Amino acid sequence: MEDAKLKRKIEKLLNKEFSGIEVSIDDGIAHLSGELNSWNEVVELGHKVGKLEVEEVVNLVTAKEVKAERREKPGLKLPKKIYDPTLPKSADVVIIGGGVTGCFIARELSRYNLDIALLEKECDIGEGGTKSNSAQIHTGIGEHSGTLKKELCAKSWPLYEKISEELDVPYKKDGLLVVLTKDTLPKVPSFIANFVSRTIIAHVIKSKAKKVGDEPRIVKKEELMEMEPNLTDRALVAVLMPNYGIICPHRLTEALAENAVQNGASIFLDTEVIGISPNGEMKKVITTRGEIEAKFIVNAAGVYADKIAEMAGAKEFTIHPRKGSTLLFDKGVGDYVNHQISEMKLPQDPHTKGGAVLKTVDENINWGPTAIETADREDTSVTAEEIQSILKKYGSIIPNFSTNSLIAYFSGVRAPTYKEDFYIKPSKKVRGLINVAGIQSPGLTAAPLIAKMVADILKNGGLEMVEKESFNPIRKKSTVFEDLTLEEKEKLVGENPLYGNVVCRCEHVTEGEILDAIRSPIPALNVDAIKRRTRAGMGRCQGGFCGPRVAEILAREFDIPLEKVTKDGGGSELFVGKTKVSLMEGK
Amino acid sequence: MKKHRFVCIDCPLSCEVALTEEDGKILEIKNNRCKKGEEYAIAEFTNPVRILTTTVRVEGGILPVVPVRSKGHIPKKLIRECMRELAKVEANAPIKCGDMIYENVLNTGIYIVSSRDLQEDEA
Amino acid sequence: MIDVDVAVIGGGPAGLAAALSAYRNGAKNVWLLERNPELGGILPQCIHDGFGNFIFKEMLTGPEYAQRYIDEVKKTGITVKLNTMVLEMGPERLIAVNPKDGLLDIKAKAIILAMGCRERTRPQILIPGYRPAGIYTAGVAQRYINMEGVMPGKKVVILGSGDVGLIMARRFTLEGAKVEGVYEIMSNPGGLTRNIVQCLNDYDIPLHLSHTIVNIKGKKRVEEVTVAQVDSQMTPIKSTKRDISCDTLLLSVGLIPENELSKMADVAMDPITGGPVVDEAMETSVSGIFACGNVAHVHDLVDDVSKAGETAGKGAAEHISDKIKKRKVPVIVKGGRNIRYVVPQIIRNEDFDKRITFYLRVNDVEEDVKLVLLSGEKLLYKRKENVVKPPEMVRLTLLSKFLENVGNELTIEAQK
Repeated sequence: MEDAKLKRKIEKLLNKEFSGIEVSIDDGIAHLSGELNSWNEVVELGHKVGKLEVEEVVNLVTAKEVKAERREKPGLKLPKKIYDPTLPKSADVVIIGGGVTGCFIARELSRYNLDIALLEKECDIGEGGTKSNSAQIHTGIGEHSGTLKKELCAKSWPLYEKISEELDVPYKKDGLLVVLTKDTLPKVPSFIANFVSRTIIAHVIKSKAKKVGDEPRIVKKEELMEMEPNLTDRALVAVLMPNYGIICPHRLTEALAENAVQNGASIFLDTEVIGISPNGEMKKVITTRGEIEAKFIVNAAGVYADKIAEMAGAKEFTIHPRKGSTLLFDKGVGDYVNHQISEMKLPQDPHTKGGAVLKTVDENINWGPTAIETADREDTSVTAEEIQSILKKYGSIIPNFSTNSLIAYFSGVRAPTYKEDFYIKPSKKVRGLINVAGIQSPGLTAAPLIAKMVADILKNGGLEMVEKESFNPIRKKSTVFEDLTLEEKEKLVGENPLYGNVVCRCEHVTEGEILDAIRSPIPALNVDAIKRRTRAGMGRCQGGFCGPRVAEILAREFDIPLEKVTKDGGGSELFVGKTKVSLMEGK
Repeated sequence: MKKHRFVCIDCPLSCEVALTEEDGKILEIKNNRCKKGEEYAIAEFTNPVRILTTTVRVEGGILPVVPVRSKGHIPKKLIRECMRELAKVEANAPIKCGDMIYENVLNTGIYIVSSRDLQEDEA
Repeated sequence: MIDVDVAVIGGGPAGLAAALSAYRNGAKNVWLLERNPELGGILPQCIHDGFGNFIFKEMLTGPEYAQRYIDEVKKTGITVKLNTMVLEMGPERLIAVNPKDGLLDIKAKAIILAMGCRERTRPQILIPGYRPAGIYTAGVAQRYINMEGVMPGKKVVILGSGDVGLIMARRFTLEGAKVEGVYEIMSNPGGLTRNIVQCLNDYDIPLHLSHTIVNIKGKKRVEEVTVAQVDSQMTPIKSTKRDISCDTLLLSVGLIPENELSKMADVAMDPITGGPVVDEAMETSVSGIFACGNVAHVHDLVDDVSKAGETAGKGAAEHISDKIKKRKVPVIVKGGRNIRYVVPQIIRNEDFDKRITFYLRVNDVEEDVKLVLLSGEKLLYKRKENVVKPPEMVRLTLLSKFLENVGNELTIEAQK
């Protein structure tokens, strides 16, 4: 649709529903400006315009109720003693963002003879949406037809068997049960609802699943209750999607990054991009660690992807953060469910697949995630309402589940655009800038093919890509003490006594493993990074026992005083100083 | 005339003993259910004392601080100053439980002693 | 495989007393396994006094109390293994590891569980908000200040008026930090009155009963917490919300017996105490496995912990030498009116000890009650109490001969 016509169509919508908002169209992209009262209105506006035939939506409308984001001035978060790499003067490709997407891209590009530099602003990889990802390997059934999300996801999921083997990361194909219950069709009288669920809806779901390459099966109530004895009695029938799987987002991202580095890529942590000068062919990327020039920039910056693009002079989409919170339960209750379980409720929420009861690869139980629009890109708070809504929603799927075994809850922010699809395109405005934005669920599942798509875009963009003969897709994970047999444990401790010093009592993580993480090619530089790599602190006591010991090891390894140890980078120091100091200073 | 309230700590009854005084002279004590409450209130009013337990910095030990205790009671009003005084102290490992760490703190005649054995750091 | 007579898991006050008692009661080969680099358990960080008032008739500090037992153990032939973590446990067998010895595959004729407890965490009490640095359970903060010599924060809000929280309110204050207040969700304080007086009143630290924390702000480090009053259902009252700027939130919200190993060995658990069901010799439902100290139920006084350890040690030694005679009819001990729990939960042995002590906690504060021990209608023991409070554990000791022919059930209750 031509720009003028599009503008008129949008203005019609604005006049009807959103007063005080202006729109301009630039090459099919709608730019919105003005002010509304609430953030939810801003999002609603973006969504409604996004549904029209626009290429994308740049939504600069502000909300009266939202105070300006108080962002800290960018600067290095880690002292030199802990981390001090040198940024090269230039690279063939600079990847901005070290989440699962950025790391898949780094690995993919490391197949070629290229100088690759991945820049991550946090002190560890995978600290954005990746960190709180449920890490389901979706089949694509939950995505709307015609979306890039569906297309890539459906082709990507079969690749995980091989990928998990190559990268030596745990992966389970436990399957998803989409359960239809008495509450699936709430507004319909029950005898009709039950009949429709059993006969029509179940079959619709089944055929949708087939279309994405799964091998679905309808499971009748009797068998369903045998498969899942703790399932609610409200269940009528379910559709089993056997190819639904689960992976660990931290270990996957770590493995991808390690494999990329193994194959010659460079990854820079605590390196925030603060400016991009796209003058001519070579673009200058200005960071908190200096400047680096590159012909091609891959923007995989998650919730900040639009800000990065803007830095380069390209306003082609807007990210609107959508938070998702999850409750995590102890390992001992893992036997409670045998598959991933979700309850179908119609009508479906257009922007979320509804979450599930999941068993992680470590046998913890997950309930969630929620989906809450938020104005703050870093809103990882878990509200009381979210906690209650999760307990209610999943407690009704698995009743009689003792929530006493709750050990943690966390939140992450998704990074959708207003068209709610993947946005993987070379920028029209800035040559050499490739935007990999809007990577919300099923982003992790689709990431292998997102990476390949980016490689193709780079090829077509003129980047000379010669395959490396020496590329090695195999990455071996470091020692996991808990996974070894008694004989293996004995041998290991005999060779290296540090593996005989168990630091994390709940997860049986040893000092040897913690040192491996600190000394890895993608070093763990703070307490949270060690937690993600080794699982120390992820157990029942949530770091009550191992916390002080992990802090001691970090202080010793980096030769820094205990007071400089952080939870996840500068500003999150665990201590304010030594005892006695303030007394001596005569407080 | 002034009324003070002291929660007696001698037994779980925790009587809230009310002590009335004028110009420092005790006029009345009530609400105590036994003599201990009376004695406690008098002590707390005339000369409240406390045991001080804290840590002191250590040089060359397996831990950077050693727990210490006062060998006897210290006037309550001197506790904070004691803390400041002890903050300046650095003890040397090895230390044995009961070793004197600081003599006659703030002229109270009270010793500060170590609460534990602390070995030397081999490293 | 290493053969031992008694393996004690945990070298804190319970384990120390148990190992000594087992040794002194005839067990020759006693191994004491401790995961820390030194013995004492939690005591080395409990630098305040109040320990040993009953056993030593002195008010000792935690480290001093531990030192007494450590010195005794040194005089014996007990094998102490430090830096040693028990990974697996089953009846008569356990697998442990340490850097020096590597993997230890131990066959033990008796095992004494003395692993203590862990602290309840923030997620377990569902405090909403962010997860920044600066949120500590009281015990962890205590370790940092008293053993690592570092200050966890400068401006502290404390949730929970249990003894550890109260002790830390004073400790933080003495080391120069500002404690804004202690907030307690119940309408009564959780700790001993002595601590309310000497830790809060002495330092003008306010105690807010019927309050809880409803939000934590701060993305990197704690910046602010929101407190609110709660109603009789413990639901926060929205209109009473108040923001407090601080950099540290200290949680003293309960202790949980650490029983992962016990569960591995299929030991029967008491859901109220959170620990194994034990008899008067501290033996669990699995023959040869004993449990004492906080792993069985959370105690207030370390003296009681040592006593329980002593009992368990004797039980283990007599189990090995087959001295224990089991009753024909085991007696189930039940808690009646206003009794939250009683330990031991079962009397199984004939003539184990001259005296038997029941440890119990009440549900509600009550004044002028009579604690009675009944066998059906028959009154076996009674004692008047001026006041009973949940945070203060009660001991009832009577001569074992009174329990000779009591049938299969005993009830302890608080009568008005």
